[in-house]
Parts: sequence; structure tokens; C-alpha cells
Amino acid sequence: MKIILPDKTCRTQTITKMTVGELLQDLGINPVEVLVSLNGMLVVEDARVEDGDEVRIYRITHGG
Amino acid sequence: MPAVYHDRSARRHLCRDHFIAAVESRVAETIRSRQMIVPDDHVGIGLSGGKDSTALLMLLSRVLPSIGRVRLTALTVDEGIHGYREDTIRSADRLARDYGIDHISVSFSELFGKTLDAFLVGREHEACTICGVLRRKALAVAAKQAGVTKLATGHNLDDEAQSVLMNVLRGDLPRLVRDPGSASQGWFIPRVKPLMYVAEKELAVYLMLHGAWPDLPECPYAVHALRGEVRTLLATLEQRHPGTMQHLLASKAQIEKRCGRVSGAGPVRQCTKCGDPCSGEICQLCLLKKRLGM
Ligand SMILES: [Zn+2]
Repeated sequence: MKIILPDKTCRTQTITKMTVGELLQDLGINPVEVLVSLNGMLVVEDARVEDGDEVRIYRITHGG
Repeated sequence: MPAVYHDRSARRHLCRDHFIAAVESRVAETIRSRQMIVPDDHVGIGLSGGKDSTALLMLLSRVLPSIGRVRLTALTVDEGIHGYREDTIRSADRLARDYGIDHISVSFSELFGKTLDAFLVGREHEACTICGVLRRKALAVAAKQAGVTKLATGHNLDDEAQSVLMNVLRGDLPRLVRDPGSASQGWFIPRVKPLMYVAEKELAVYLMLHGAWPDLPECPYAVHALRGEVRTLLATLEQRHPGTMQHLLASKAQIEKRCGRVSGAGPVRQCTKCGDPCSGEICQLCLLKKRLGM
């Protein structure tokens, strides 16, 4: 699985199955503060990610 | 249809179409029930070009036709924040053009003689206070220029909940119940917040679904603000206890009810220096100007 973090850095991680919520928890990210897309589609925390998926995390910045 | 949003306090998952409809009808309901905007109003939108004001413009354009004939004008304030404001202002210009609405811009340098960056040298920790007072005046000037009857800002549920908690943490109860849109707070024109019941994350999802996610940096002064800490704290509480932010707003409403909806502490007076409406003898802006040696 490829993860693109809010600062646009990438990391690759081998996983068995897990949910987006579990992934965020592993990364220490509060779901209230981010949006997550899975292979280009916006998803919710109980969406399942598998190896080969691309997960992108967008931080919701304050303001304006 | 796959879910795009999990509304944790209402315990439901929403697909794209139902999510968009839910946000739009909540905004319409907020406007209607509080009579924020009525037919034949001319509404000024505080459009910084950041995510909240972008969402406000999109949502008002969608929702207002169901309310009646309402004219919109975008009002942009350039505070002069290097490396941050340039991009958002470009974005605001493009949005106003795309939506075909009038657009009026004012800047701190033209109104106050200096950029916010210049005012803040050595006072970075006071950024939000100083910017808040100057912005308020700048928006009022732009609103007057445009001749609007209402001024709408993009404050969302998170902003409102943060403000409630911040006022409590600062021990500023009068400010908690004071009507921020009232004349004693320096507004000649009624101010409305149509997004006050929409969570920040919902606005972000709404923008993303419309391909309008603005990939913009955060204000460089945000790190100095109490709001940043309160924001993280409330986000953590909201995650563990869904509905926390709504509860804060409900608490505020209850306190307001007990106190009566106070329009400022006491009668509206005029600033003895500049004549703007204010609650004391001298308005916040004139006090600030004196302090900054303007
Ligand atoms: Zn004054």
C-alpha cells in the first residue's frame, strides 16, 4: 500500500487488511482533522485498504 | 453508492448525493429559521479565497434561489500576509469571475498604511487579535462601498465551538453572549453566518466532491494563537465524543436565553474619535491604532 501524507511525502507499507480508521490510528492522525481518498475516491473510516491500494491523506487547514 | 461521509453524531453514512443534499438543506434551513437572508437582500460575502469562504460562495449560490431574489457581491480583504495571501486572493478573483458576481477588494496597506506583516513585527503573538480588529473594519468598509444589506462570513461549526470555549477559557462571559453582529460591535450592517451548523470537515468534503478543494497553506500566524490549541483539543473531544461541538453551541444558546440576547453591554454608543458604533467611549480600532502608534 502506498500512503501519501498531508505534507505530500510518500511511504510504502505492506499490510494485510485494515480499515482507513485503523491506518489513521497507527499514524496518530485524528480523523476529524483529515480527509482520506482511496485510489482517488473519498472514503470513510470503515473503508478497507489492501496491499496495492493508494491512500492519500489531506489535512483540513484552518481558515478562510 | 459508496459512503463519502460518516456523520458520527447522527450515526449515519452518506453517499455523495445525499451528503450534498444534506449540507445544502441544513444551510437553507439555518438561513430560513433565523431569517439571516430575506428576498431582495444584497449580500456581501467575505471571500478570502480559503476553503470556508469558497464553500460559502458555492453554497449560497446553490441555496439562495430557493429563498428569493438575492444579489451577491464578493468582498475580499488583503491583509498583506506574505507567502499566504497571494494564492488565496488569486483564488478569490477566479471564483468571483466564475460565479459572475461583483467583487470588491480592499487592503490593509491602502486602509491603514501598512501590511499586517509590517504591523506584526515583534508582536506575532498578538496576530489574531490585531488582525481581527483591522479585518473587521476593512470588511465594514468594503461592505459599505458595495452597498450591501447583509454581510455573510464563512464561520463554521468548529469555529463557533472554538470561540465559545475560548471565551470561557479567557473568562470573557460578556463576549460569549454578546451578539457579534450587533452595532455595538462596530457593524453597521447585520452580519450572518450561514455555515454555523456545518462542520469544518463537512465543508472540506463538500469542496472535495465538487473538485474545488483549495490546496492552500495555513496562515503563518496560526501557530501563535490560542485557537490552534483549542482546535486540536476540540477535534480530539469530538472524535471521542461525537456531538461535542454542537453541544457547545447549544450551551451558548442556553446562556444567551437566560441573559436575554444581549446586544453588547449596554446601549450602542459612538466612538468619540471616529464615530463608529461601539460599546465604550473609544472603539477597538481607535484603541488599537493608538497602541500601534498609527
Ligand atoms: Zn473609533
